[in-house]
Amino acid sequence: MKVQSIFALNRPLSPVEMDGRRRSLVRLGLAWLAMMQVMMFALPGYLRIEAGPNDSLEVLDWAIFMMNWASLALTVPVVLYAAWPVWQGVLTAFSERRFTMDIPVATSIVAAFIPSAYATITGHAEVYFDSVTMFVAFLLTARYVETRARQSLEVSRAGSELDALCQPLVAQSDRLAAIFILAQLVFAFVISSLWWMTYPEHALSILVALLVMSCPCALALAAPMSLAASHASLAAYPAMTDEQRALLFAHTRRITRQNLYGSLTWHVLTMPLAAVGWVTPWLAALLMLISSVAVVLNAWRLYAVPQSSLQTRPSQGFHPKAQS
Amino acid sequence: MLEILYLLLPLSLAVIALVGGMLWWAVFSGQYDDPDAASQSILLDDDRTVSNISFKRK
Repeated sequence: MKVQSIFALNRPLSPVEMDGRRRSLVRLGLAWLAMMQVMMFALPGYLRIEAGPNDSLEVLDWAIFMMNWASLALTVPVVLYAAWPVWQGVLTAFSERRFTMDIPVATSIVAAFIPSAYATITGHAEVYFDSVTMFVAFLLTARYVETRARQSLEVSRAGSELDALCQPLVAQSDRLAAIFILAQLVFAFVISSLWWMTYPEHALSILVALLVMSCPCALALAAPMSLAASHASLAAYPAMTDEQRALLFAHTRRITRQNLYGSLTWHVLTMPLAAVGWVTPWLAALLMLISSVAVVLNAWRLYAVPQSSLQTRPSQGFHPKAQS
Repeated sequence: MLEILYLLLPLSLAVIALVGGMLWWAVFSGQYDDPDAASQSILLDDDRTVSNISFKRK
């Protein structure tokens, strides 16, 4: 059996496609690199407690001040270069007068970055550079997997049959994502303005956490990932019987639906935690990544389906050809 | 005590810049284009002995 990776090149790409592929990989790599370093620079900020001898607090504050500048130096390229596709997406969304996922993503980056940069220069208040870089890195990871999954789709007869079958589900997931983004944006601004009126010092961190969590990365992955896994199965077992194919298609639809409603439920369960201030912005970015990884793993099960049916029903005459 | 930060912070930024530059070079020189190619290249090797000498390799 030939194992197919969605990261492998299974068809020759045009120079433009190849260039885009390389650029997205560099953006992803640089974002992860900067994220790890910014997290290290952010550590003293988390260790800071008011209690303690005055002179050591002064020394710590000076260290935090300098580390914030170093974090700023690393976050600027992440926001300007690594997150470039987001800004581009916002421009296209505005010029086409459409509402896309890039708008809340850009809002949360700006909402976390601008106050942090201001706090670094003035030397007061908290910075969220670790959240910004984590968010960009995790977002690019989810998108990289999504574009690779889309690019690896091979068009075959069975493949187009599968696409036609899943088209309503894909349309449904797009519609759900749009409604969901709008609802979460409204929710984020209402909740944080309530916090602003009562405890203004927490309002910003809650707004950033809510905006980060509003990113429907897992929702965006739900349909393309399961379709890609299913296409990979079709390509790996060309000798599939009609019955097995029907079984695979049924599984695809079921897993797509699971992904869709699973990621929605995850968001609905975690939003209240962020609304009451239990989720820090960096934790919100981590929660977003967890749901995306769960969707990818769930879709991967589709790839294992023909193998298990092969073991239980050997009489079907279903022999995967050993390739290379 | 904190003077060491004046050395360490720029140093860490320089290391990050170096690593980022190396990553940039590695990706744009095509090393990550096909992750499967590296493992297969040893098997799909050109084993001809005569032709390698008499003809130019592609």
